[in-house]
Amino acid sequence: MRRVACLALVVAASVGGCRREERRFRESPPATTPSAVRISSLQPGTVADTTPASNPYEASAYAQSEGQRLFGWYNCAGCHANGGGGMGPALMDDEWIYGSAPDQIYSTIVQGRPNGMPSFAGKIPSPQIWQIVTYVRSLSGLTPMTGRSARAEHMNFYQGAQSMQGAQKPKHAFRPPASEFP
Amino acid sequence: MLQGLHTQSVLDPVGPLAVSTARLWWFSLSVATVVYLLTVGALCWALARARRREQSTTEPPLDPVAAESRMTRGVGIAIGATVVILLVFLGYDLSVGRTLSPIPKAHPLTIELTGHQWWWEATYADTSVHDRFTTANEIHVPVGQPVLFLLSSNDVIHSLWVPNLAGKKDLIPGYTQSFWFRADSAGTYRGQCAEFCGHQHAKMAMFVIAEPLEEYQRWVLSQRDTAHTPLDSVAAHGREVFLTGTCAMCHAIGGTAAGSHAGPDLTHLASRRTIAAGSLPNTRGNLAGWIVDPQGIKPGAKMPPNLLRPNDLDALLTYLQSLK
Amino acid sequence: MTIRSSMQCRPRRVLASVMLLLLAACTREDVPGRANEPAKPATPAGGAPRASAVLDPEDGQWTRPAKSLSAIRYSQLAEITADNVKNLRPAWSFSTSVLRGHEEAPLVVNNTMYILTPFPNLLYALDLTKSGAPMKWMYNPKPQSEAQGVACCDVVNRGPVFANGMIVFTTLDNHVIAVDAATGTERWNTKVGEINVGETMTMAPLVVKNLVLVGNSGGEMGVRGWLKALDLGSGAVRWTAYSTGPDSDVLIGPRFKPFYPSHRGKDLGVSTWPGTQWKIGGGTVWGWISYDPALNLVFYGTANPGPWNPDQRPGDNKWTSTMFARDPDTGEAVWAYQMSPHDLHDYDGVNESLLLDVPWKGQTRKVLLHPDRNGYVYLMDRTTGEVLSAEPFVHITTTHGVDLKSGALQYEPSKAGHVGEVVRDICPASPGGKDWQPSSFSPRTGFVYLPHQNLCQDAEGLEANYIAGTPYVGMNVRMMAGPGGHRGELTAWDPAAARAAWKITEDLPVWSGTLATAGDVVFYGTMDGWFKAIDARTGTELWKYKTGSGIIGQPITYRGPDGKQYVAIMSGVGGWAGGIVAGNLDPRDSSAALGFAAAMKDLPSKTTKGGTLYVFALP
Repeated sequence: MRRVACLALVVAASVGGCRREERRFRESPPATTPSAVRISSLQPGTVADTTPASNPYEASAYAQSEGQRLFGWYNCAGCHANGGGGMGPALMDDEWIYGSAPDQIYSTIVQGRPNGMPSFAGKIPSPQIWQIVTYVRSLSGLTPMTGRSARAEHMNFYQGAQSMQGAQKPKHAFRPPASEFP
Repeated sequence: MLQGLHTQSVLDPVGPLAVSTARLWWFSLSVATVVYLLTVGALCWALARARRREQSTTEPPLDPVAAESRMTRGVGIAIGATVVILLVFLGYDLSVGRTLSPIPKAHPLTIELTGHQWWWEATYADTSVHDRFTTANEIHVPVGQPVLFLLSSNDVIHSLWVPNLAGKKDLIPGYTQSFWFRADSAGTYRGQCAEFCGHQHAKMAMFVIAEPLEEYQRWVLSQRDTAHTPLDSVAAHGREVFLTGTCAMCHAIGGTAAGSHAGPDLTHLASRRTIAAGSLPNTRGNLAGWIVDPQGIKPGAKMPPNLLRPNDLDALLTYLQSLK
Repeated sequence: MTIRSSMQCRPRRVLASVMLLLLAACTREDVPGRANEPAKPATPAGGAPRASAVLDPEDGQWTRPAKSLSAIRYSQLAEITADNVKNLRPAWSFSTSVLRGHEEAPLVVNNTMYILTPFPNLLYALDLTKSGAPMKWMYNPKPQSEAQGVACCDVVNRGPVFANGMIVFTTLDNHVIAVDAATGTERWNTKVGEINVGETMTMAPLVVKNLVLVGNSGGEMGVRGWLKALDLGSGAVRWTAYSTGPDSDVLIGPRFKPFYPSHRGKDLGVSTWPGTQWKIGGGTVWGWISYDPALNLVFYGTANPGPWNPDQRPGDNKWTSTMFARDPDTGEAVWAYQMSPHDLHDYDGVNESLLLDVPWKGQTRKVLLHPDRNGYVYLMDRTTGEVLSAEPFVHITTTHGVDLKSGALQYEPSKAGHVGEVVRDICPASPGGKDWQPSSFSPRTGFVYLPHQNLCQDAEGLEANYIAGTPYVGMNVRMMAGPGGHRGELTAWDPAAARAAWKITEDLPVWSGTLATAGDVVFYGTMDGWFKAIDARTGTELWKYKTGSGIIGQPITYRGPDGKQYVAIMSGVGGWAGGIVAGNLDPRDSSAALGFAAAMKDLPSKTTKGGTLYVFALP
């Protein structure tokens, strides 16, 4: 019995490991827009349980690194820097103006937001948007960061930090809520 | 599809570098053949003599001392010959290396070649800043003139190898290397990446087209032009599709608002003979297949599938084919 | 350490130190940050002739951000003096309801104060004749909210201008609006730019004769820079002078006579760019314009070429980072001088040009003094464009000075970055030795008071993709404090001697403007919220007041209806330097805010967002 369990565990682990690196090049794109994405958790009447649309690439290290590349190619980094923000808000912190769920981030990219986020509808194919979502969520640790290349972070100031994961948040970085920002 | 395409081979050299490399190869081959034949011959002779001795009753048995000294002499001669041959090889190799490495002072043409996963970007960096232009996967050079290449890479290490023209040289991210060759006769020469660079390494090919000077200059003039705004309505719609959709996020077309360098510059796409880095002949059908399902042709390529309405795709193809 | 020329003559330094000690004893004030600074005598050495400027008669008003057309920001009001400034008290304050960077200057005209906020660019009129300055009216231009997404370095505005009974100003979404100064009703409203190609507007217009001069922002977005002249009466565009492109677009014609041969030639705005790169090459006009009525010339600088990554734009990239002199009537260029040809480090040329008369080699020259981002104070003959001197006011590693014969900036080759290469210790950093924050000049001391930063950076070139309406930069940057470890300085510059007379060091960049008055007091603010008054002759700190938020605005002074002299300043941190607070950026990413956040990691613990006007007066 024990042996069987062990074997099952090994098989599950190796299969899981495979999925992490899985590359699905000819994927038929997931539904173009997740329907009825809520940005507010406040609902009138009885609260309906809404399960967010899942990101097909959530656990894929390959998708995450592709998302990182596209984040640079499509100039996301021009406004959000390498997660710290600039013209746009920071993405590596734990504040999410328009929600942190994969489908909420997807909608933010596709629809744009009125305080400055451009709408990328029709500009980026759907699978690539999901890859960017995977990368964006990894910036703040919502998905494992293992798939990301640390290359963009070699300019980082913190000595001895190989990547952002090793960097400590400075003590004095008190930051009030960002609700009114783009 | 490609006129005057030479067999991709180091044994069909057309430039001074490739010729001297090929000569070295032929020399090595001849010497190695002679050595091989001599060695095998000597072995056969020794075997035959040993058998004759065994069968013969008349020959006296070998004097062990004399045999030992003869063997020592034989081995000594063989070692000496080997050393001499290796030194000759070394000397010849060094002299070939000397003819390859110095970059000719007079190079009328400088090309900045950048490796990408999985295609080649070539910028013609002439003396005048304004006359620079960029193309992809197809390099035109004038016959009989040295061409200087400045090699770099934007992602991983690639290697440039056009066997008919010259040996290999690596393209390294963040570091510029120089390299040159000269094509002595007109023709089309296939080159490819010679350093494993990921999924589609095998389909990272390019063509060098060596042509007479006048023809080359004509080509340069046409490449310096920006794309013309199409007059017919279908192509104009195609232009609209290109500029408002996904294409302009990665590709540049001179003279339009599309200026991204993530993918190849398409200003003169229709003048190129192949698409997808030498993977397919540049025909309307192939182009359509590539736009709609690039992952079927080159799995892992950085170009995403594009779902276009049939009339949009048709218009886009008409526009792209007008980019001479 | 920062004053190169002061190292030579020791006796003077000793004398100066003694004087400083005496002064410190007299005022019984601490002089923070000045302990290690070599102090200088009060006036230029040995009673040497000093710089002067043509002054308009003082009317006690403040009708444009720079006060005078010569942009010297000097008030002849002298009620507040170095002796009594210590008694300065807040008189009243006003909250703007906006929490972004307040870089603007308030205006005072006809006993009314006008305040233009950062986006959403609200315009307030406050009645100074009544106690507490109640609101007369408020005008809301309702700019497009999306414009915030293409504003490179916070959604600031540098102030409105008064002309012909109207308040004229720009909005972030590229409208130029004229509002009746008495009633607040809109007179005209002209849209001159497009946010979808990355254009925004942040500059203060200048009104010359019957024309409103405005330029665009967006050098980090692949915008093509221009200066437009709008009819003051109707708002119609009279002419447009582009900063790049063929001579016909740049308005270069037969009258164009640049001083240096390297600036002569046909269509240099095209031929010094690869292909059609000039169409997205930057050279925006978002800084300060000055005007000399005698020569009938306006002077302004153009911004950096785009993208920052220089590999994508080989060539001189004319006419970016260039000083232009134009005839305002027609827009024709009369001369031009490119401060930073083929700029490598985002050294815009948009900083202010102060029009002074300076004794130079025995004769008085009509000059233009321009402290540039590249770290040099340029002294130029404003009739010809000849560079008389270009001396460093900060630590510079990127260049070795300006060759006065050819006008060429001497670059240090090892500091030129390329794609994939990290270059360390680039000084000054991208915001330059000094950014937009305007300096002032006092004819009484002959000094120009330069507010500036002391920053260096590491940078790495990246391939930039041009996608209209998105950033076009191509550089990873990480900034840090320059030599000495402090990030800001206020330098008193002696134009006649072409060197710094003295310097005050500040921990944070001095991102506010300065104001000089006839009371021999200079005002400026710090990014942690202190509004300070210093002695115009010695730099001794005389008074300071802690406002609610960091100060990056432009101090002004005026005579109130009661005849008293008032000083006003906006408090509200932000801008490129304060983006870490105003935009809630994350300092763990050293490339945040184009690398500025790395140098400002401690700012969130020193100040918070705000948006308040403070007005001070003697009791």
